[in-house]
Amino acid sequence: MFLAKVIGKVVSTKKDPVMTGQRLLLLRPQLVDPNDPSKFRDGSNTIVAVDKLGAGEGEMVLFCQGSSARQAEGLKPLPIDAAVIGIIDSVEVLGQNVYKDNA
Amino acid sequence: MILARVDGNITSTVCHETLRGWRLLILQGIDEQGKDCGDPVIAIDEHGAGIGDRVFYTTDGSSTREHVGDEHSPLRNMIMGVID
Amino acid sequence: MRLGRVIGRVTLSRQDPAFRGARWLVVSPMSRPQLSKLDDELVSESPSCVVYDDLGATLGDIIGFVEGAEATAPFENPTPIDAYNAAIVQNVNYQPAS
Repeated sequence: MFLAKVIGKVVSTKKDPVMTGQRLLLLRPQLVDPNDPSKFRDGSNTIVAVDKLGAGEGEMVLFCQGSSARQAEGLKPLPIDAAVIGIIDSVEVLGQNVYKDNA
Repeated sequence: MILARVDGNITSTVCHETLRGWRLLILQGIDEQGKDCGDPVIAIDEHGAGIGDRVFYTTDGSSTREHVGDEHSPLRNMIMGVID
Repeated sequence: MRLGRVIGRVTLSRQDPAFRGARWLVVSPMSRPQLSKLDDELVSESPSCVVYDDLGATLGDIIGFVEGAEATAPFENPTPIDAYNAAIVQNVNYQPAS
């Protein structure tokens, strides 16, 4: 799994019918910066993931990839390879709090 | 299967129950000329492979699970043989 | 299964119903240079990932974690994870040829 920031959402009209009604978010993976482990650096990919947890733009989430994504609740029939499986409350790296959800 | 060189081993007492009793070797993938490629991985071994040996290992989890005899085993990499 | 160093942890406010009391580790995968210098920097250049843990690993531990579909194998019910802590490493004996 990777941590990621929600940077937007995807709206698609022409798509596989089984995807109707599914929320698709644009995610930017957040990696611990080896030069300063109290910060994150952006990963190079942009991931599109199905979200059933209602994550909002700017929030930090946990997402899973591959065939495992279809094991998330309600996602078995979908031909997907990425799903949001959690909304982050806090991240601690090397004993330091590096992220806290202020909501 | 992937070609690899045995670079070491690890031991673990706190682990998933299906790992218990297995030799866990550190494998370095190599190309046909013996050049390192990729990061090291851990594989189970029952052929007595030693450090420096070249081996080939499978990355098919289902055959490894079958061999270990437990469908709940998270193991994927298993040494199939030592290269002469 | 790859080796990684536990460098932190994650807590969730909302999560898939499959998880109850799950522990999530921030892990820095160990590549060749890290294996050769076990006492050095814990955070490597490899992308840090989050690993599901039910063995009780703590900061600084070296773990063997499995990725992909195999990460779901230990569970009875469908569990959407792609990285699972399969072993807390007690000893690393690393003697690479090169």
